[in-house]
Amino acid sequence: MDMIGYPLVNALGACLIITSMTVVLAKTMRASAFLYSFQSLMLVAILASLGFVTSSSELFTWSATAFVTKVVLVPAILLFTLKKIGGDAHADLLPKINSMKAVALVAVEVFVCFVAVSGIELPTAAEVKPTLAVALAHFFIGLTCIVIQRSIFKQIFGYCLMENGSHVALALLAPQAPELVEIGVATDAIFAVIILSVLVWRMGHYAHTLDADDLCELKG
Amino acid sequence: MTIIIAILQAILLVVVAPLISGIARKIRAKMHSRKGTSILQDYYDLAKLMKRSEVREGGSGIISRLMPPIFLGCFVLIAAGLPLVMQACPIPMLGDMITILYLMALPRFMFALASIDSAGSYTAIGGIRELLVGVLVEPSLILVLFVMASAVGSTNVGLMSTAVANLQATPLVAVVVAGVACAMACYIEMGKLPFDMAEAEQEIQEGPLAAYSGPSLAMLKLGVSLKQVVVASLLVCIFLPFGSAPTLAPLDILIGFLVFVAKVLVVFLIASVIENSAMRARYKILGRYTWFVVGIASLSLVFLIIGI
Repeated sequence: MDMIGYPLVNALGACLIITSMTVVLAKTMRASAFLYSFQSLMLVAILASLGFVTSSSELFTWSATAFVTKVVLVPAILLFTLKKIGGDAHADLLPKINSMKAVALVAVEVFVCFVAVSGIELPTAAEVKPTLAVALAHFFIGLTCIVIQRSIFKQIFGYCLMENGSHVALALLAPQAPELVEIGVATDAIFAVIILSVLVWRMGHYAHTLDADDLCELKG
Repeated sequence: MTIIIAILQAILLVVVAPLISGIARKIRAKMHSRKGTSILQDYYDLAKLMKRSEVREGGSGIISRLMPPIFLGCFVLIAAGLPLVMQACPIPMLGDMITILYLMALPRFMFALASIDSAGSYTAIGGIRELLVGVLVEPSLILVLFVMASAVGSTNVGLMSTAVANLQATPLVAVVVAGVACAMACYIEMGKLPFDMAEAEQEIQEGPLAAYSGPSLAMLKLGVSLKQVVVASLLVCIFLPFGSAPTLAPLDILIGFLVFVAKVLVVFLIASVIENSAMRARYKILGRYTWFVVGIASLSLVFLIIGI
């Protein structure tokens, strides 16, 4: 089991990076929402395979709740918000830097994170260290998404990516933690997304734009 | 024995190259709802050009004369060295990735040199465009081949091919991502739209070809179509070597040959469809697309370093 278990977790971690890049690069917000759902599916797969490897029954519960909240509910809320906002949401808001360069940026971030985690001793196993680097890198990918995207709707995805990163990091560092502890890290994502969606919808409703630069002028 | 295979595969690629570019033209015509020329049209063109006498520009020097044979010769040499039908290189010396990269850079260098050598003013601009594409895409290709060399532990393309065919190239994700980056880099290197060397639409893009005639032009045209086939074969032989002959048994070689032809045709089919749904870009914005390829190639390097 260990022979395929750890490489599988690491390979899924790499898929997590690739899918989060597609979330950031996707042209339409609708596509981003579907890709985010797909990414969360990868997350569920990581949690489940970690559960197999470490034979921790808690991780299966985690993966089940993650499936309900992140694969189904969060994208559904985002798509619903998108529908509510209507026309303003589809305005062409290009990212602040060439999104193609963002890929190179992500590669640098993953590398830096790998260097950063190389000194950490993991309770699970040394083999999944690359996945810890991936989890840490998700904070930076999320941050990149928030910084480079003009659309405030797209910035929500940045938050979601960070959230997924912390979820994986928690699973690696504390695989035996009970579901109750995990609520604060994983399940609250859904409430945060609801609040952010409402905010985005209200802003879009009043200002008729989702451009963060334009919204900066609404002071006072 | 392997040298015979090397010579045969080089001849095969040279003979087949105009046919494949003819098929690509036919696909383009079909997608434009035109009838299109025969798929053998490139052979007719070459035959006609070979019969014509050569006209040289006044003022152009030896570089212009040497360029067509060097252009064609380099790609014939690469074609002989690649592990197309077998998993190992037929001529190991030619199968080294550094040799291959330089053999691909030399024609480009000569091409640019000839474009300055020519007396025409448009040719130099075409040469610059070609050089720019080279500058933008070659780093990605080098990076990808470096990742493969580190993953396999050898710079020999034949060993890469064998390792990938036996699924021994680790780490797996890095190799897959490198394959994606290589496919993109090869697409650009093939000179398909929007990175193309146009046939006759705009004089500027045609570049140095405008200054040639007769057999030299025939050699260049053959060289350009051969380059496309060679680059596609490079991708196929490193990242999709499945089905290639592991031994020298005649049956294995036959199967390897048939599988290779099928793979290259599929690659060209996909490339033609992408080409016809893209538009020609001004060469200043080409960098935007190539940044993406550089990004993916560096991602594969990072995956290699962190070991997934």
